Amino acid sequence: MSAAKTEVEYEAGRQRLRLLSTAGPGLGWIVLFLLVPSAVLLGIAFFSADDYGAPVLPLSVQPFQQVAGFSLLGWDSGNIVIFLRSLQQAGIATLVSAVLSYPLVFFILSRPASIRPLLLLFIVLPSWTNQVVRTYAWLELLGPDAPVTWIAHHLGIVPPYLGLAPGSFAVTTGLAYNYLPYMIVPLYASAEKLDWTLVEAGRDLYASGVKLFWHTVFPQTVPGLLSGVIFVAIPAFGDYIVPQLLGGDKALMIGSLIANQFTETPDWPYGAALTIIMLVLTGLGLIGFRILTKKIGGGEEAAI
Amino acid sequence: MIPRSVRYLLSGISWPVYILLYTPLALVAYYSFAPAPNQMGHSLHAYGVLFHDAEVLTALQRSLLLAFFSATISTMLGTLLGYGLCRFRNRRAKGVLANIPSLIIYTPIIMPSLVFGISELIFFNFVHTYTGLLAAGLQTMIIAHITFQVPYVTLTVFARLAGLDPYLFDASHDLYADGIKSFIHLIIPVVQPAIIGGFLLGITLSIDDFTISFFTAGPGSVTLPIYIYSAIARKGITPEVNAIGTLMIGSIIALALIHFFITRHRERGSQFAARGNIT
Amino acid sequence: MTLPAAPPLTAARGAISLSGITRIFAGHIPAVDHIDLDIHAGEFFTLLGPSGCGKTTLLRMIAGFETPDAGRILISGREMQEVPAFKRAVNTVFQSYALFPHLNVEQNIGFGLKMQGVKTPERKKRVDAIMELMQIGQFATRSAAQLSGGQRQRVALARALVNEPEVVLLDEPLSALDAKLRAELQIELLRMQKRLGMTFIFVTHDQHEALVMSDRIAVMSKGKIQQVGPVLDVYEKPQNVFVAEFLGLSNIWPILSAQGQTAQTALGPLEVADVHLARLCAPPQAPEAVPPPTPGRLAMIRPEKIWIYNDAAAPTGRPNMFPGTIREAIYMGASTQYRIELHCGQFVLAYDTNNQAAERSWRPGENVAVELKPENIMLVEP
Repeated sequence: MSAAKTEVEYEAGRQRLRLLSTAGPGLGWIVLFLLVPSAVLLGIAFFSADDYGAPVLPLSVQPFQQVAGFSLLGWDSGNIVIFLRSLQQAGIATLVSAVLSYPLVFFILSRPASIRPLLLLFIVLPSWTNQVVRTYAWLELLGPDAPVTWIAHHLGIVPPYLGLAPGSFAVTTGLAYNYLPYMIVPLYASAEKLDWTLVEAGRDLYASGVKLFWHTVFPQTVPGLLSGVIFVAIPAFGDYIVPQLLGGDKALMIGSLIANQFTETPDWPYGAALTIIMLVLTGLGLIGFRILTKKIGGGEEAAI
Repeated sequence: MIPRSVRYLLSGISWPVYILLYTPLALVAYYSFAPAPNQMGHSLHAYGVLFHDAEVLTALQRSLLLAFFSATISTMLGTLLGYGLCRFRNRRAKGVLANIPSLIIYTPIIMPSLVFGISELIFFNFVHTYTGLLAAGLQTMIIAHITFQVPYVTLTVFARLAGLDPYLFDASHDLYADGIKSFIHLIIPVVQPAIIGGFLLGITLSIDDFTISFFTAGPGSVTLPIYIYSAIARKGITPEVNAIGTLMIGSIIALALIHFFITRHRERGSQFAARGNIT
Repeated sequence: MTLPAAPPLTAARGAISLSGITRIFAGHIPAVDHIDLDIHAGEFFTLLGPSGCGKTTLLRMIAGFETPDAGRILISGREMQEVPAFKRAVNTVFQSYALFPHLNVEQNIGFGLKMQGVKTPERKKRVDAIMELMQIGQFATRSAAQLSGGQRQRVALARALVNEPEVVLLDEPLSALDAKLRAELQIELLRMQKRLGMTFIFVTHDQHEALVMSDRIAVMSKGKIQQVGPVLDVYEKPQNVFVAEFLGLSNIWPILSAQGQTAQTALGPLEVADVHLARLCAPPQAPEAVPPPTPGRLAMIRPEKIWIYNDAAAPTGRPNMFPGTIREAIYMGASTQYRIELHCGQFVLAYDTNNQAAERSWRPGENVAVELKPENIMLVEP
């Protein structure tokens, strides 16, 4: 059998070589230009900062103390507030896009199959336009001189000199607008596979349409909803451009806070520590959702 | 399957949402036709200014170069990667080691673009400090753009290959085509729609991106999105900014629609499904 | 259904000789386990077995898609170990047909010739000829997606045959088709093979298909060949329980002890003939002596070889006559299948043809006698 073994090994070796020569360059590229850099970024969090904010020895946990709000001036709740605000903004944006997605998805499904791809395309299209353009576009709609603001002013919601943007409302709107397709696409994928016989069967059991939806349709779309929540909540939580353009000073989010440590007032270790905390929170969220998904019995997305 | 009354309700909610999705974009276009100073009505004044603004034209040129080069290289890397993973990966293998390629591929997709951008900023900074290579500029932007495009191209190509009858590869070997002939006469033509789709997706992603560009750009590599961003910061939203925005929105929508109808004609929309899933 | 007249020459064009072929997928039991097999030039040879028995793996090794971990493959007398699939004069018809989606019918069929460097005029001539032969000329410019299952099957076959290979491999090529089309294509395939005289190796799990089409059959199970031989031999003289049960239906009882030609089984004593009468063979063969029954072997009889008598009218003084009661009668058109409970408690499966010679049919509950004629009882290995 020794001869057989070597032939198997040769074949396995050839296969590895083929894999390496085709997949190697692409994987290597990502490792070199993303995994290594992010490892460097995370490592920086454990250094001290020099006067220019660049990392220097000795190693230190000071950046993390800064994240928690401790500084030479004592404790400050600012960072906690920013983290909570980011969570809140991401949460509301996720909720809004989920609530909007259901009617949209079933609207598309209620149309003839031939035009569904086009209807879906028109949902996705705005998200293919440039981040800056599609974000500042909301300033046109919600800014101080804009028609929506004028209406809001006359309804007594905002004072005349202030628009709906910049501010929290504009950030939530911008996030929901940016990430709505990320909710709709997975939800559509699971709604498309809906077993309508279950709905028919439930028609006799449940009196109202709402109950019928809740007991027959909704459970079947949960896997899509959950992946949608992940696809929206994670990038919304760490978004940079939306709060930057639509938020103003009062709606500062974690993304802007991190970016500031690398641009305006450099403090790399502090910025890196903020990043770690953000990623840890994101990771915890992901794990939590994974457990939830498994519990509910959601299907895994088709993957490589 | 959906009662008539519910259909009306769905339409009643959905059409306004569709309109809302395009209202901000339409406003950008509307304000771009603002009149020249001290005049009334609508005009193409802002566009005129734009086409004589050397800074804008250079930024446009850079954006196009960035999109073209990054999409070209990421299409090559991603096509090979998708092909390799589909054809040569041991499907029976289990465990952590077997999942490493997937983990690597999904990292750029999952990682928030801010973290992505800052990592690159620091990495290129270090490399430049210690080796003198990779000074921040168009080259670092191209590298970063390739990095986030590769997974999308890979997934597009992989989806196409995985959807094929696996025996096609055997069939071509069986019919006297060696590895290279199979690649030319079977793989390339069959995967071609996905390669083109992946390339266009790369272009779209490149033009869409601001955050990663912003952190990897150097002083001399202002692209259109960065130009718009700083113009807004400096002077607020001007008709010129709106004109650039309009052209960007218009071209990406045109590109997407053309691609959609071409592939739909040929592939009955299967390509779109692959794109829709990952975008 | 005759054996090829020429003696099996392993070096003849289209002959295949396998020795010690083994294939083990990492960490699994062997998919193909030390197989020795000679396939004659120009014969229609079938690899028959349940799914997972290794028949497809064996076929893929002949095609060159898989490399054996041990053993030798000779095709037309040439060693194939170092010859890759694209250099073997062997073409395959895949179960899924594997028609190239980016090419039309004509281009699909011409693919192999093009890859071999056959110039366009010559290629066109040959492609046209095979399309004519397969009656698919009118689909020449259609894509594979626009064809029906039967048409795809014809294109796949044409794509293999146009290269005039020494051997054609067919991996369950009819399994995706409906029953009627399948029966038609079975005949067509057979006719084509006889006409072209190429060696066909046909893989199937369908015993009926194997019986209809093959010159010879190899029955496989768990990576090993259980029995090879002409169709008739394998059906009439199965060597072991697996072959007996996989190819057709059978009644089988273990032999508990034996004395001379009398075997002791759960039925009681069973008389077994000491010669095998190959009555169906043409030309008739001389009776073959068979070894006497021994414990550990099994007594097997096919349901259609069981005689059923009216209880009262059963002839007396004959061996292996067992009284019983009809428990189940299933009318199947040409024949009726009975399940009979013998008085000893054993069940017997029997077929009775519904032709004019048939005396009558029986209903459940009727008392009958069944006769297991000694010459119809085969002794098989476990």
